[in-house]
Amino acid sequence: MNGFVRKLLLIVSTFIFLKAGAQKLVVADTIFGSGDPLVVTATRLAGKSSRAPLPITVITAQEIRKTGLLRLQDILQEQTGVAIINAPLGNALNGYPNPFGQGIQLMGLDPAYTLILLDGEPLVGRNAGILNTGRIATGDIQQVEIVKGPASSLYGSEAMAGVINILTQKPDNNSLNAQLFTGSQATRSGSLSVTQKNTKSSLHLFAHQYSSGGYDLDPQTWGKTQDPFRILSGNVKWIYEPRPRHQITLSVRLNNNVQNNRYQVQSISQPEIVSGQTKDNDFTAFLQWRYQLAGRGRLTFRSFLNAYSNASFVQWEKTGALFDAIDFRQQMLKQELEYQLPRKSGGQLLALAGWSTDQVIATRYANQPPLSSFFASLQEEWKLMKNKLTLHVGGRIDKREDFAARLSPRMAVAWYPADRWKITASIGGGFKAPDFRHMYLNFSNSQIGYSLVGAAALGNELLRMQQLGLLQAGADITPYQAAAGLRPEYGTGLHVSARYANSASSLRAGVFYNRINGQIDLFSLPFTRNNGLPIYSYYNAGNIFSRGIEIEGQVRLSKYFSLQVGYQFLEAKDLQVLRAIDAKSLYRRDPVTYVTTLLTRNQYVGLPNRSKHMGQIKWMFEQPAAGRFAYLRVMYRSAFGWMDINGNRVIDDPREMAEGFFMANLSVSQRINSHFSLQGGIENILNYTHPQYAPHLPGRQWTLSVIFQVKSNQPSN
Amino acid sequence: MKTISTLTSLSILSCLFFLSCTKEPISVPQPVTRVQVLSVPFSTRGAYTFFSFKDSTSVTPLDSNSTKWDFAIRFTRIIVNSQASGPGNAGVIMQDGIFNSILTAPATGYSHDTTSTSLAIKDGSWYDYNPRTHAFIPKAGKIFIFRTANGTNYAKMQFLGVDYAPFTGPVPSTLLYKFEYTYQPGAGNSFQ
Repeated sequence: MNGFVRKLLLIVSTFIFLKAGAQKLVVADTIFGSGDPLVVTATRLAGKSSRAPLPITVITAQEIRKTGLLRLQDILQEQTGVAIINAPLGNALNGYPNPFGQGIQLMGLDPAYTLILLDGEPLVGRNAGILNTGRIATGDIQQVEIVKGPASSLYGSEAMAGVINILTQKPDNNSLNAQLFTGSQATRSGSLSVTQKNTKSSLHLFAHQYSSGGYDLDPQTWGKTQDPFRILSGNVKWIYEPRPRHQITLSVRLNNNVQNNRYQVQSISQPEIVSGQTKDNDFTAFLQWRYQLAGRGRLTFRSFLNAYSNASFVQWEKTGALFDAIDFRQQMLKQELEYQLPRKSGGQLLALAGWSTDQVIATRYANQPPLSSFFASLQEEWKLMKNKLTLHVGGRIDKREDFAARLSPRMAVAWYPADRWKITASIGGGFKAPDFRHMYLNFSNSQIGYSLVGAAALGNELLRMQQLGLLQAGADITPYQAAAGLRPEYGTGLHVSARYANSASSLRAGVFYNRINGQIDLFSLPFTRNNGLPIYSYYNAGNIFSRGIEIEGQVRLSKYFSLQVGYQFLEAKDLQVLRAIDAKSLYRRDPVTYVTTLLTRNQYVGLPNRSKHMGQIKWMFEQPAAGRFAYLRVMYRSAFGWMDINGNRVIDDPREMAEGFFMANLSVSQRINSHFSLQGGIENILNYTHPQYAPHLPGRQWTLSVIFQVKSNQPSN
Repeated sequence: MKTISTLTSLSILSCLFFLSCTKEPISVPQPVTRVQVLSVPFSTRGAYTFFSFKDSTSVTPLDSNSTKWDFAIRFTRIIVNSQASGPGNAGVIMQDGIFNSILTAPATGYSHDTTSTSLAIKDGSWYDYNPRTHAFIPKAGKIFIFRTANGTNYAKMQFLGVDYAPFTGPVPSTLLYKFEYTYQPGAGNSFQ
């Protein structure tokens, strides 16, 4: 170990002192120039993005850098068909006035159905189905791949709407990057990235700090909408080839986020201030050993650990006494063995088997032992008709110990009928096992007094409450003592798209249909707590669908100008609601006249939080020789359902909708010399803010950063 | 929208009609339709707030042991003047539908508060609670058909809204129940 540390230090110091400006600066690709990156997420087999049989969006490191954005969710929000939505209900401190997080909605499906991978491995630690993407520093991202459509056939549970795979920098050249950033709302950031490639080993180090003074969008509510926070993250990745045909990858990543909470709660007689901290720790360790077999086959063993913890407390500011504290820890350990065999015909075979354990220990959760899962997956890709057709067939079996085994199939085809044309079609099955919150959450709101209890914990909790006299007198709890519990949600997705591309432009248009069966939702028990307030639990509610059209195009308008547009039309509805409308059993009350009528299909808008129209236009002006660019992006989201106010639990009135909005971001950059460049920007130029609909968007923000970059493609000795 | 405006004008017309009728000295009593707001303390303990369809007003708790009231509310719990809840002979049928389209009260099928824990109107059956805004939203299309405490008259009722009265301090003090009802003061079970 000592030897390793010494070597590491030597590498870094050698790099820093000996690498002077002699290296030839590699001019970054133009934004649309590198249009055909290698992708891995769609089929788990590396291939050109243009050849992938599935709809895949790639955000490259250059694109991320050019946006000037430092938060992953801001970057994702600029992609076609991706909406950032706020979840107002989740595990938060008592009385905490702000939403606790934002999630990613793909094709109109909830954040819980999009699997988030880091270097191909799943991250854990979701709160109410939402994974906080603030855990991932954008400065270290090499590429983000968004695959739409069910991918459980490759990735198992959760991959129902799709997969977002965040790939961090690979140490494939020598480079040194540093960035200092400053912006409105006391936003400060600094990052350093060092990569050293030798013949047998290569090393990548990354460190990043980001802090923000927070902001307040709602003067009516005491405290800030976003409390001040700072994020520290670091990553070490080491690739070592001890002998020919062997490759070992070791990667360790740590992210530490501290937020200062300060808000007002109602004490017995008057409002009082409570303050404290939220500490969020995310640790991942990844080990991979890859062995090239004597034939063409390749064997890979992977081991992955993700330990996530989030602990919050607040105390009365006057007395210092504790007001509330919550704690959430989740650990996932996963081992898998993969076999890849490239076929002579150009096709490939992939076989995968593994095992994982997952455990949550948290206040407000009933105790439970770790849950084990086994999985096995088989994929085959054929090249047919003289490479004019790629056929991909695969399936995966997942068996979590508390559920029956589940098979998720997928079939995808890509057809190249003529030069420049590509037509893809895919159909896949996805599933999502009930998560820990659905099973084990046990939460009682101390201020208002309702209870929310997971399905697996419900029987015991009701018995306990009844014994303590906390239930409404005469409540019949027997049906919940022997309840069958929850079933996994499962779904199907269908995608068809056509793409045309030439050297200056490309256009892709597609249609999609997704369906989720047995969606897990809240219900209120037929009896209440003794305070008259409801008790909620989870059940397999029913089926929903989302369908839409997606169009993406890009064109080089002149030598320096290029344009990119994206649009999604979406409809997402609850099939039970449609059935109730047809059965004439669902009513609406006009919020003003109070006249009640039967609800019609035309009045029913659809599931909340979905915008019918979403789109973006991006203008890029770039003069690579002069080292300057300007990049303007305008995003639009049409009105979306917010909450029921007229007594039918569905969105069917304009007053139940949040109005649509535009967002615009601009970044400009100028190279100073071969190593330095200056980048500035205005985020949210139109200054759109809303404390409820978009608490994640601060007002207009000015940013400025200095970027230092040294790069070389020559491996040093 | 057309349906809504038609229904609105219909209900306005019928109101005008009823009002003009009640003013006239005619022998056959006509049903009365009213929209009323009842103030109910924001507390799951303490006295109920009693209501009489006949007098279209709240009834003092001192008269709780009489047939002067038809139903009563405490927080979100509703009792009807029958069996375990009072000396009356009231009953209720909960039914989904359009208020104006319910033209008669059924002759039978009324539920009573058999015991204090098995009430005719199950708590939580007629509203949704929004944990985000803490709003109690009456379900649209839930109609309560009452037989009144004297056992002979009928009324149909629907909640239009439950609001918090303006309050200062940590918790609300009063819930304002807004409801619409048609009461048939005469014999028979017709609401028109």
